[in-house]
Amino acid sequence: MSRKIERLINLTIALLATKRYLTKSEIFNSVDGYEGTAETKERMFERDKDDLRSLGIEIEVGSFDPLFNDEAGYKIKKEKYQFELGDISSTDVSLLSLAAEAWQEASFGDVAQKALLKLRSIGIASDEISIPGSVHKLNDGGQDLSLITKAIAQNQILNFTYLDSSMKSIERGVVPIALSTRKGYWYLSGVDQEIQEIRTFRIDRIQGDITASAGPCDFESPVGFDASKALSHSPTNDFAVIDVRVGKATSLRALAISTKSLGEWDQIRVPIFNLDSLASLVLWHGQDALVQEPADLRELLIKHLQALVKNHG
Amino acid sequence: MAKKISAPLERTARLLDLVPYINSHQGIALKELASVFNVTQAQMTDDLTTLWMCGLPGYTPLELMDLDFESGFVTIHNAETLSKPRSISFDEGVALVLGLDLLRSTISPDRSDLLTKIDELSRRLSDVINLPSALSAASDINQDISAAILEAIRNRSGLEIVYHSLYRDETSTRTILPIEIVQNDGQRYLSSFCHTSSDFRQFRIDRIQSAKMQTVSQEIPKSSGQSSGHTSTIKVLTPTREIAERFKQRELSVNSEFNVESFSLQWIERSIMASGGSVSLLAPAEIRESISVMAQSMLDRYKAR
Repeated sequence: MSRKIERLINLTIALLATKRYLTKSEIFNSVDGYEGTAETKERMFERDKDDLRSLGIEIEVGSFDPLFNDEAGYKIKKEKYQFELGDISSTDVSLLSLAAEAWQEASFGDVAQKALLKLRSIGIASDEISIPGSVHKLNDGGQDLSLITKAIAQNQILNFTYLDSSMKSIERGVVPIALSTRKGYWYLSGVDQEIQEIRTFRIDRIQGDITASAGPCDFESPVGFDASKALSHSPTNDFAVIDVRVGKATSLRALAISTKSLGEWDQIRVPIFNLDSLASLVLWHGQDALVQEPADLRELLIKHLQALVKNHG
Repeated sequence: MAKKISAPLERTARLLDLVPYINSHQGIALKELASVFNVTQAQMTDDLTTLWMCGLPGYTPLELMDLDFESGFVTIHNAETLSKPRSISFDEGVALVLGLDLLRSTISPDRSDLLTKIDELSRRLSDVINLPSALSAASDINQDISAAILEAIRNRSGLEIVYHSLYRDETSTRTILPIEIVQNDGQRYLSSFCHTSSDFRQFRIDRIQSAKMQTVSQEIPKSSGQSSGHTSTIKVLTPTREIAERFKQRELSVNSEFNVESFSLQWIERSIMASGGSVSLLAPAEIRESISVMAQSMLDRYKAR
């Protein structure tokens, strides 16, 4: 086995070092390890090219003299082989190291470690910069993030089964445009092929495997889409007025845009993004929260409370 | 998950990456090199022996790489061609861009020098992997708090924290001895011994409102242990995703029943209230009773207007 490994490395070195394209016969004559009949060497070389490609090493095909129909030649372009990020300072190296260390031990963590190794091989010492380091870490949550990011790069369609809010499993076909993580959850944003609109999906709500297929060839990524804003609510003009007991209902207060003191109670104004989840949050706080406005939220709460009384009577 | 490549190819990749690493760490101990590349020393010796046979065509001592590792320390010369690290793969770039984005959200705005550098690196990496601005990660944990927690764990010192308990809806000041950070369902918790309640507690880090260093006793009373939990039985009336996620149930169907273990009865009571008419609590009876009374009294208040 180590003969093959030696051959792959010698081939890489030879094709990297050459200034001009090397023909197959030059390769077979000079690179150590090509033995046997012409046909065997041919097969070996084809395999080796595929193997190097799977390691991310591209062998370019060209000819010495474009004017003559010459035999094809091969070389590896240095600028494609080498890690090229332009000028890198020692602060940059430490920032990139911290970025790689943000990953938990997960399959993506291994990938990050490999990247870190390459960074350290540049030979620039890292600064001891005073960044306290984050307690928050990235975790791929067992999801195939690589499949998703590749699909983003290649405009593929991702097909998956998604659990909607009423527990129905629905087949979705989405051209992904962004991948985000917030508070320990991963989100995938993309153009839903059925409705041709951008939708965001929480990845742990996907059931079973995600599969990728060729996307529409005329796909144009929506302009002005900002992955970091995809998860925040768009502004709303709907507000609820809620009375909350003093010193209580911290999670409701966290949403408030204004607070008015009423003595034993405070009155807060809270934006309404989703009526059902706001109702649920108000109910969580029991007798410490009372909705004054709007009427439809009050009605929804009355309906829930009647059901709670009936179901537990 | 990265695509699996065969063992010989993985080894080829390692050998290619070894050259620039040794080149920039001349004289590194064999033992350390093995641990950096996560292989045994025997494997590393094997790898170096293989590399020793490689070089430019001709393969005379003039063209072969000049490796020395017999002394237990590794040096390399005559390895110009492979001396620069290999380009990062697509997955590696994705991991770094997401990591940088998370890092950006933990750096305070007054370090604009670092923030500019992060943006620049992120842009350059995105160019290399050809994936513009489609990735985003952010931390919702306050930087001062995370710094205090890390320092306390490192120095085995105590912390005084202000903590908001969701199920009690109370903010309390506690003195704790942090033990470790644990991850559960994507959330990060600080596993600690809480001197205020004389017991082990887990605090969700994003609910810690402030943290400062505090000298505490390192001793943990022997008698302390996890307080016992409560079992509740819940019947599903309308299956919803919210219910499935709140009670961590995979399958829900109309009229099915399931049990939930919780260390707090308050959590059960609030969770049932927040679920509205979707579920019914069958046991414990006293919580069932309390929900019915509370819901009726709230209903009276809504109807009073």
